[in-house]
Amino acid sequence: MDDTSKASGGRKTKIQVKNLTRSFGDLTVLNDISFNVAEGEFLSIVGPTGCGKTTFLNCLSKLLPTTKGNILIDGEEANPTKHNISFVFQEPTCMPWRTVRENVAYGMETKKFPKEKLEERLKYILDLVGLSDTANLYPNQVSASMEQRIAVARAFAVDPDLLLMDEPYGQLDVKLRYYLEDELVRLWKTLNSTVVFVTHNIEEAVYVAERILILSNKPTKIKAEVLVDLPRPRSLIDPKFVEIRKQVTELIRWW
Amino acid sequence: MAYESVKVETPLLLRILPVASVVLFFAVWQAIVDFGVVPNTMLASPTQVAVLFWEKLFVADPDGAVLSVHAWVSIQEAFTGFFLSLAIGIPLGLMMGWFSVAEGLARPIFELIRPIPPVAWIPLTIFWFGIGIPGKVFIIWLSGIVPCVINSYVGVRMTSPTLIQMARTYGATDWEIFKKICIPSALPMVFGAMTISQAYCWTTLVGAEYLAADQGLGYLITMGRRLASPPMVVLGMICVGLTGVAIGILIERVEKKLLAGIRR
Repeated sequence: MDDTSKASGGRKTKIQVKNLTRSFGDLTVLNDISFNVAEGEFLSIVGPTGCGKTTFLNCLSKLLPTTKGNILIDGEEANPTKHNISFVFQEPTCMPWRTVRENVAYGMETKKFPKEKLEERLKYILDLVGLSDTANLYPNQVSASMEQRIAVARAFAVDPDLLLMDEPYGQLDVKLRYYLEDELVRLWKTLNSTVVFVTHNIEEAVYVAERILILSNKPTKIKAEVLVDLPRPRSLIDPKFVEIRKQVTELIRWW
Repeated sequence: MAYESVKVETPLLLRILPVASVVLFFAVWQAIVDFGVVPNTMLASPTQVAVLFWEKLFVADPDGAVLSVHAWVSIQEAFTGFFLSLAIGIPLGLMMGWFSVAEGLARPIFELIRPIPPVAWIPLTIFWFGIGIPGKVFIIWLSGIVPCVINSYVGVRMTSPTLIQMARTYGATDWEIFKKICIPSALPMVFGAMTISQAYCWTTLVGAEYLAADQGLGYLITMGRRLASPPMVVLGMICVGLTGVAIGILIERVEKKLLAGIRR
């Protein structure tokens, strides 16, 4: 059962996706996708434009019902009210009427964290993400990148079973993206979360992930799997890094 | 904190122009009446109105009440109707925007009643309530509730779908999303509704008092007509205007305070 996750390295399987299929009328978008994610793994998913990445994430997060197949978390059918599933969207999702602190707390609030635990964890996360200084400002008083960091902090705060990210840094400039990617990796390592990171940016995927799944065109299947066993911090000009990046690029190009 | 507030000076011209326009308006008005362009039987001059204003502060004759009583009666009626329309219209509109059952039930009836001008209800109202305060409150309520329902409804409908999805991924229930995402997000529209609704209520008030009243600012205007006294008509109009402006400013203040986070 664990043969798909070569990167697991003896880690426990956290997420099982079994025969996930989603069609809209006659159009099959996701075609019988199966894979596992190990506990604490950082998995990236890349694919050509329009291959159904967003549909895929929406199914994983249970925003969309699946046509066939199921998603198991710790062997149980995934359920947003029971499991902690966090989703960082492409667009900023700050509530303008809440301060930075209250925005970060939203997930924990909804998950009904006890008050003391919530406060304690909130302080910890705000410090970790470097938002303590701006905690009492409103989202429109901070920069756009900061808004995305708020969403990331909110997602990590609930100690998610599964953290889904949909091109969270797609709209930011390159320099800032590197900075936030480093921060993301740091958060993931510190908090030992299970992350599924969807992106169309191959370099980004190779930079952050332990393992990359490459999707095919519609109807979407998993086309290939690439392990990224490079030490961190990773260098973008390391020959091995470049090689993996080329490999993934080729895999995407030759559908 | 690194974020300082910045003071922006209004250019001199922009500060002078509003004052100049008001002064000019009154000067032209005074001149028109004084030089007989418009006869005094058709329009009162600002100074005549000012004199009457001073008198009416203390003298109840000939219309039966001093100015403050008229104003107070009107304000009571308008605000009772206004608050009732907020109390019913806003929750109704909000619910209609989020719960399809509420929309399905209330929308057809609302759409049916909405195009009827509130003053068209006056005859029925007189049958039901007579000419006392409850009847006028009812008509004012009818006119005030329309913008409340529409704006609250639209406000909820305009909630960012991504925010709703975000809440869903954390497992929020429909009710929690309504309470914590939709309502705050609709608030600017709801406050817009308060401003519009207040204006509607105040306008309808004068209409309601026109037909059935024995006190109030609208009644003062009617009495001015009956007594063939242009100054009294104009005084009534100005008082209605000024009180409306005062209420508008009050509501704007409240709104600014409550919406600090959203419109900053």
